[in-house]
Amino acid sequence: MELEESPKQQYSDKEKSNIFNNEFMPHINSMYNFAYRLTLDQDDSKDLVQDTYLKAYRFIDSFQQGTNAKAWLFRILKNSFINDYRKKSKEPSKVDYQEVESYYNSEEVDRQITPDLRVEALKDMIGDEISNALNSLDVDFRTVIILCDLEGFKYDEMAKILDIPIGTVRSRLHRARNLLKEKLSEYAKQMGYKNA
Amino acid sequence: MSNPDQNQMKQECQNQRECMEMLQLIVDGEASPEQKEHFLVHHLEECMPCYKNYHLEVAIRQLLKNKCTGQAPQELIDSIKAKVISNLAP
Repeated sequence: MELEESPKQQYSDKEKSNIFNNEFMPHINSMYNFAYRLTLDQDDSKDLVQDTYLKAYRFIDSFQQGTNAKAWLFRILKNSFINDYRKKSKEPSKVDYQEVESYYNSEEVDRQITPDLRVEALKDMIGDEISNALNSLDVDFRTVIILCDLEGFKYDEMAKILDIPIGTVRSRLHRARNLLKEKLSEYAKQMGYKNA
Repeated sequence: MSNPDQNQMKQECQNQRECMEMLQLIVDGEASPEQKEHFLVHHLEECMPCYKNYHLEVAIRQLLKNKCTGQAPQELIDSIKAKVISNLAP
């Protein structure tokens, strides 16, 4: 996974081209979607994806064939986002995880574990409600939902992509989903669902 | 999973916290076959809150997948390929 730490391969130009086209490029739609959901800006997301792919190409000798190319690419994209975009963006400061973890471990979480959101209300959300709800979450919460629910990464893969322990992946996911449900439940109320 | 008789089901879950954690493992594909069997086949049949929560979680994930994915613009794909091919050129 690490760009710098992995044992170096020595690929020929033909092998590089094969890896790039057959293992990296097939993930372009997922990568673009991830970049767009992180930056929430079309131009920034194009730049971020392009930077990531060029970086992946430049460091292709650090990629071991047979390992998970998608996770490798996602990690590069996430790091590029943090280094190059997050600094300049006007996002509010990141969530204090100490606080989040203690919230997660408190009794309060049991009481309001799920807003009373109903499946029927979700079925009527045929517009941008879910997308807006996802985009409204703090970027760290948004990220775990994208990785898990949209891209199907396993917890251990997410832990590597995000450089956090698996326990944090789980608690962050749990909290992110509750926040998403709260948001969806607000929309459901606006749509006229009582007690949604 | 069948459609259980809702009147026969428990209206309160005694293990809500553990169940929510188990539910998350199951929808994320991280639960063992035994855990899945116990929760999906036995517990959901008798516990109304968990039955509802499970279907809600599944519906949200479906909605996310249908509404929050997209395609990369072709110009972006072309531009990346062009830059990498020019890098490969001798």
